[in-house]
Amino acid sequence: MRSLFAFIKKEFTEQFRSGRLIILGLLFVLFGIMNPAIAKLTPWLLETMADSLAESGMIITDVKVSALDSWVQFFKNMPMGLIAFVLLESSIFTKEYTSGTLVLSLTKGLERYKVVVSKALVLTVLWSLGYWLCFGITYGYTAYFWDNSIAQNLVLSVVCWWLFGMMVVALMVLFSTVAKSNTGVLLGTSGVVLASYLVGLLPKCSKYLPTFLTDGNSLIYGLVETKTYMPSLVIAVATGVICFAISIPIFNKKQL
Amino acid sequence: MDMLRITDLHKRFGDKEVLHGLNLTVPEHSIYGFIGKNGAGKTTAMKTVLGLLKADSGEIFVGGEKVVYGQTSANQYIGYLPDVPEFYPFMTAPEYLRFCGEITGMKKAERDARLKELLELVGLGDEKHRIKGFSRGMKQRLGIAQALLNSPKLLICDEPTSALDPVGRKEILDILLTVRQQTTVLFSTHILSDVERICTDVAFLNNGVVETQGKLSDIKTKYRSEEYLLETGNDADIRKLIQAFPEMKQIGANQLIFCESVRSAFDLLRFVSEQHIVLLKFERMEPTLESLFMEVTQK
Repeated sequence: MRSLFAFIKKEFTEQFRSGRLIILGLLFVLFGIMNPAIAKLTPWLLETMADSLAESGMIITDVKVSALDSWVQFFKNMPMGLIAFVLLESSIFTKEYTSGTLVLSLTKGLERYKVVVSKALVLTVLWSLGYWLCFGITYGYTAYFWDNSIAQNLVLSVVCWWLFGMMVVALMVLFSTVAKSNTGVLLGTSGVVLASYLVGLLPKCSKYLPTFLTDGNSLIYGLVETKTYMPSLVIAVATGVICFAISIPIFNKKQL
Repeated sequence: MDMLRITDLHKRFGDKEVLHGLNLTVPEHSIYGFIGKNGAGKTTAMKTVLGLLKADSGEIFVGGEKVVYGQTSANQYIGYLPDVPEFYPFMTAPEYLRFCGEITGMKKAERDARLKELLELVGLGDEKHRIKGFSRGMKQRLGIAQALLNSPKLLICDEPTSALDPVGRKEILDILLTVRQQTTVLFSTHILSDVERICTDVAFLNNGVVETQGKLSDIKTKYRSEEYLLETGNDADIRKLIQAFPEMKQIGANQLIFCESVRSAFDLLRFVSEQHIVLLKFERMEPTLESLFMEVTQK
């Protein structure tokens, strides 16, 4: 147990001292502020552009924004947050393979599964902290400017998006145990997400795929029933658990 | 007792067979020199002992415990120093050793005492900077400290001196000599003067097999040549000697090589005393490790 804590502590020290923790924090705070800010500024933006828009035949009348616009921005910006997170953290395993730093720890008798558990835990904590920080800021500002209660199923919609991110974290862990470099991790993770997105374009399959969880707008506008999200939710959680579970035996046999 | 025993180890990478039937026995409290050319299979053999590489066949025992690939409990007996040790650059030397102590489950008091003692031993006691700025020699010394942290029964060093300057090399060799009391050292190298300086036992690895192994003194005896070097003060004596012993070879103005294979050295000495030849030098030619190495690797 002590060795596990030691490794987790090392991971967090690394995140902090390498500056990644701060970058991620700033990024998610920025997104959190941007979501309501963009919604708030939309009328003003459209007004300043009214003249040029009028020339092209569009006439701006009274523009009304509500809490929903702020949440639409949230779901629109979150993919960027997730991509930045994946890019920043994709080398969390592979950097140790290429530099050879893990060899010394493992030859000291550190059990291999503890490496996987520590790093997966750090990724989970970072993603969750960043995501919920962003959510909290957006929620606060939105509540201040408008009324959050008009967004339906808000909790479910943001939990779904968070779970999608968790599945991506599990994919990162899995591909990190398989691949040798972070290119492999990026290709594998983005490949699975892209495949899910492409297959999701077929109307028959879409609601079974994890990418369906990112469609928070339909939920907050109340366009779909909440139970429609159940299959994709179950599949995303199952995918995450399976990815994590098989990454341990794979890592145990990995040549370092 | 044997600290390490490797029997009939085979390992192939693709179509290249690196080890074919390696046998090695390392006795306790020896400083064991594992000698071979670059690419002879030294690193492969060592990594297999550590469970970092999967052997195709063969068995390895460390302190009586069998080594398995991947998660191997035999590692608890081993301290390992890779050829180019890499540490977490964002830590300082004491932080890194503390981390190592924590992952091996050492008690805090024991760990802190050991940490201080080892940092002193390797001369990093006053080093406050992060590892990021360490020189190669400093990393190598920190590498030895981390390898010795949990008082391993077997210390494996992969070419610890190859990349260092003469001062750095001397420091590393001195440290290895110091720790001999506490542990068994197995180190691979191709620098023969290092072996000659500190090793008690050696093994010559060539083309994936151990050609010869044992106590350094025994091996030297075994390969001892029957040649003597003889030096006299003047040419007349040299001519006399060559006349009497035509099998002798002249290698310098006043130097001759005598080989015992035809006649005994005593015959030569008797002749020298009868003829009142004054000898400046008469010595048995000691085999150098270099000549041994050449002989073994060119077989």
